[in-house]
Amino acid sequence: MSALDSYGAEAQERVGFFTDTSVCIGCKACEVACKEWNLVPEDGLVWTGESYDNTSELGANSWRHVAFVEQTEPEVDALRWLMSSDVCKHCTHAACLDVCPTGALFRTEYSTVVVQEDVCNGCGYCVPACPFGVLDKRHLPRKDPPALPLLTKKEDGRVWKCTLCYDRLKGGHEPACAKACPTDSIQFGPLDELRERADKRLEKLQAENWNGARLYGRDPDDGVGGFGAFFLLLDEPEVYGLPPDPVVTTRDLPEMWRTAAIAAGAVVAGVVAAFVGGSR
Amino acid sequence: MPPDDAEAQDAIAGDHPFIMQADGRSWLFVPQGLEDGPLPTHYEPHESPFGNPLYSQRANPRRQQFKRPENPYNPVADEPGAELYPYVATTYRLTEHHTAGGMSRTVPYLSELQPAMFCEVSPELAAEAGLEHGGWATIYSSRSAIEARMLVTDRIPPLEIQGRKTHQIGLPYHWGTRGLTTGGAANDLSSIALDPNVHIQEVKAFSVGIKPGRRPRGEALPRFVEEIRERAR
Ligand code: SF4
Ligand code: SF4
Repeated sequence: MSALDSYGAEAQERVGFFTDTSVCIGCKACEVACKEWNLVPEDGLVWTGESYDNTSELGANSWRHVAFVEQTEPEVDALRWLMSSDVCKHCTHAACLDVCPTGALFRTEYSTVVVQEDVCNGCGYCVPACPFGVLDKRHLPRKDPPALPLLTKKEDGRVWKCTLCYDRLKGGHEPACAKACPTDSIQFGPLDELRERADKRLEKLQAENWNGARLYGRDPDDGVGGFGAFFLLLDEPEVYGLPPDPVVTTRDLPEMWRTAAIAAGAVVAGVVAAFVGGSR
Repeated sequence: MPPDDAEAQDAIAGDHPFIMQADGRSWLFVPQGLEDGPLPTHYEPHESPFGNPLYSQRANPRRQQFKRPENPYNPVADEPGAELYPYVATTYRLTEHHTAGGMSRTVPYLSELQPAMFCEVSPELAAEAGLEHGGWATIYSSRSAIEARMLVTDRIPPLEIQGRKTHQIGLPYHWGTRGLTTGGAANDLSSIALDPNVHIQEVKAFSVGIKPGRRPRGEALPRFVEEIRERAR
């Protein structure tokens, strides 16, 4: 039985994001809209010198991260500036769900992956489990950040990540980042529809000789069973800081437990044999 | 798209960009209303390291100048001292901030996205002037000197102009002394020389010098600026 079956009549069509980085203009409206809607605190005033990216990575205080990649193509002596808005992938097989001991992380009726802030105890098991480094425990950059009145000013140590705006979905609205994106680089919708749209877009780009163009995480048969939030990239995933071949980190757990059980069985048998043998 | 036989305002397509013109188009010949019409021409900026290749009038003769002690102009083209301000600075906006930052540098969600005044130069200029990526630089004109973090990038390449390699310096103009993030104000560097029609000061192209390190503080700042001005005289 899949998690979705347990929702019965409440189960919804699977929804997600298609982030088409080929039209991203790097305005970061998605980052700000996300923070405004979800009351995510400021993450510190740190200038990185990494092009125009001062967010650096996804984390408890950054649920969208716009990467800026400056590339020179020596053959044509041209420069291009890649921009790409990263987010939790809402994996089909999500390792974070597998390891969460409290059930704080759960699969919603939309097939998205959400942390319940009132259940999470901050154990942090999910942090290393995510193959994309999405999950992160919340620490605040400053003692007294000039936070919005609704924000807690306490370090809480719980994990926070993109909820695909679960509350907005329930109200029939698209997530805040998709709503704010001026170029429709972030598209929200039923996953099947998004996949179809992405295939068409890729075809068009390839016909226009965008040789590096590819879909990332679209296919159900990749490492994590496909992403609920997948991407169109213009170059290798590594260029954007994304793992080329993500694997569900809990994939080998059953096998490991089996091996451990066999080993434990052998030890028990050995001890028993020693006693039986010794009593002779 | 309006049909071919459309008339008057119905003939203006939605994508005709010159929205201030009755026909939505740019005009090459402007019979009235312009101080420096009726035909377009090329002038060098008020402050530029070059003469005008088109004819002997270097900069717009109708520009408004203010020759006052607090608004000194850099020597230009082949005037003596122009070599002390050898680079072309241009100021611009970042999407994260609004004008001089008064309404955006007070907002945490915007300030964290662009949290420091920086200045963009090419790797060539960085090597020539001894600037280090991520380090500090002092940028100066005959008006003032400001400091900024160095962002060395291929996006701001040197230009080949009149046979001379000319370096550009990119300066966002959103910083000032108050707010969550503070920093050098690029507008301190530019001069007041106004275009004759809409009276906007020339901040998109003017000349500056640059050197590594932070700027002098307190009284040492005007002394530093004055000292270079003296040498240029
Ligand atoms: S990307 Fe990471 S946090 Fe998001 S669903 Fe997959 S494993 Fe969980
Ligand atoms: S809002 Fe859209 S265009 Fe702007 S940075 Fe985000 S994804 Fe890119």
